[in-house]
Amino acid sequence: MSDTVLKQPDPVIFVRGLREIFVRYSLFFICIAVVLTFSILRPDFTHAENIKEVLISASISGIMFLGVTWVVAAGEIDISFMEVAALSDMLVAGLVNAGWGWPLAACVGLLAGVAVGLLNGFLVGYMRLPALITTLATGGFARSMAAVIGLGSSVEVSHTGVVGRFLNLHFGFLPAVAVLTIVLYAIGWFIQEKLVFGHYIYAMEQNREAVVEAGIPARRLTLLVYLISGIAAAIAGILLTASLASGQPRIGVSFFIDGLTTVLLGGMVIKIGQPNVLGTLLAVLLLAVLVSGTALLGWSDWERDILKGALLFIGVTIVVKGRATPETAQMGGAH
Amino acid sequence: MNRALGIRLGAFLAMVLVIGAVFGLLSPQFLSQNNIAAIFRHMSADGIAGLGLTFVIVVRRFDLSFPGIAALGAMTTGQLIALGYPLFPSILGGITLGAACGIINGLAISVLMLPDIVTTIAMGSIAYGLSFIYSNGATISDNFMESGILDINDQKIAYLDEPIFFMLVLYVFAWIVLHRSRFGRAFYATGENPRAALFSGVHVRFYVIAAFVLTSATAVWAGILHCAEAGQADPSAGDGFLTPAFASVYLGAALFGFASVPATFAGTLLISMMLNGFTLLSVPYYYSDAIISIVLISAIAFFDPRFAVILQRIINMRSLTGAYK
Repeated sequence: MSDTVLKQPDPVIFVRGLREIFVRYSLFFICIAVVLTFSILRPDFTHAENIKEVLISASISGIMFLGVTWVVAAGEIDISFMEVAALSDMLVAGLVNAGWGWPLAACVGLLAGVAVGLLNGFLVGYMRLPALITTLATGGFARSMAAVIGLGSSVEVSHTGVVGRFLNLHFGFLPAVAVLTIVLYAIGWFIQEKLVFGHYIYAMEQNREAVVEAGIPARRLTLLVYLISGIAAAIAGILLTASLASGQPRIGVSFFIDGLTTVLLGGMVIKIGQPNVLGTLLAVLLLAVLVSGTALLGWSDWERDILKGALLFIGVTIVVKGRATPETAQMGGAH
Repeated sequence: MNRALGIRLGAFLAMVLVIGAVFGLLSPQFLSQNNIAAIFRHMSADGIAGLGLTFVIVVRRFDLSFPGIAALGAMTTGQLIALGYPLFPSILGGITLGAACGIINGLAISVLMLPDIVTTIAMGSIAYGLSFIYSNGATISDNFMESGILDINDQKIAYLDEPIFFMLVLYVFAWIVLHRSRFGRAFYATGENPRAALFSGVHVRFYVIAAFVLTSATAVWAGILHCAEAGQADPSAGDGFLTPAFASVYLGAALFGFASVPATFAGTLLISMMLNGFTLLSVPYYYSDAIISIVLISAIAFFDPRFAVILQRIINMRSLTGAYK
């Protein structure tokens, strides 16, 4: 008798499971729906050249936001990432024009990311200063230094060197930089899911006190997530120099809202209410598709600003409502 | 006046004197009457955004949307003037729209319990985007001459330039609200311990919303002052507000122990003096972000309670050794 009961599908559980799957993978479905819509509205959307462009821009943003994902997942916030990218972008441009080779200039750009990341991590992790204000200030400093390099204006780069060749390299319609991004995200996924580091990040967001009490080096972990964020942003900055063939000191502004929107929208998938790398990758793709598609449809920048703001609202609402305890959701609001 | 406040006030005056002396020596113009007026003028626009932000910091929240809201409000005022509306309703229209954005911020944060930082970033992006809606981003300057908006920048009231006069009025008004009224206590109570405040009969949600509304409204006013000075409204009206506003609130809080209206005034004054001084020394504008960032970082490091404990220990030690003598 009990056997037959067990074998009967329970409609309630079935519906709940269906809803769970729908919520969990909603971003996949949205992504597919958006791509389909644009392909129908604008046939040139699916041209190989456009796909390549979308993938390259998604890859650069994706690398930049990889580190931010974990900072937000750890319950902190980083609003200096885009200025770190701008600084590394300008540093590379300036050094290349000063006659340095691309590899060496890229190393210096990377070092800038390490420096700002360590500074953020030290101030937030060790000194426990409020993350928002700290990264606002370090970001402002990085922006200022980026402007200083070009004396307030942008810097043209004479040649895009080895990084430029890397950006032009592609396998069919798949650019090499997209492969790099996928590899980085795969490593990120492994670290986040399989290593204890990943579990600690989410534990810190839930209850930092408990993490400290349990003997986990929370300060070092905070330092590490900010360091990763700085390095990731610096790599993106180096790629931007080659991609734009110039250093743009004010490039950060355009990535600020995108970064946080991406990370929070990414929190909608797989781990509901928790930013994670796979979610970020999907959201980056969605945003790149939206930007490219709406551009083909003739939208202007400000219309996209409104769209992104609305998406951020939706993303954060879902993330917060998806979490079990809304009290812990005051991200970075810790004083 | 108690002793701790005396020390803090002394520290503030010492900083004013040191900054004044250093820049006065490096550039004799610094202490001229015209330049001092210029410092206050700078405070009256950029510094006024910090005044509103004080309320948000007092209720222990963050607002990153006010630069975008300032742009939207300023463009709205510009558009209303261009459409031929008189000056006062136009300004009121801009400020009302800004306040409406503040209400949305406040509702999302206190009722929907969304995180403040992300909500206000989203709101800032939407408001900034909407500021392009009237003219697609082009500057608006129709009717500016006739409407009298330029007079806000040029005329004087009671021997003071109008922007400075309005700044003082706003500061006095904010001081009365925050420090001489029941409402002010409730703002602090909401920030210190919302649960205790709620059980004491404080309408916590109302005060959070009110704080965001005040920030948005003052930011719009600051944006309008920018437009009056430039003689045109454009969407970059709020661009430079974010970091200086935070820096002035936190620098003031560092000096006086907690965020308050006089503290923000002090912070704004110091920052305006420094920026003005560096400009006189012909330090390029793009260094100003770095200067403010360094000030901001130092301010929050000093604002840190542990630092206050160390300071208290030093003071106690002094008084102890004094007692032994």
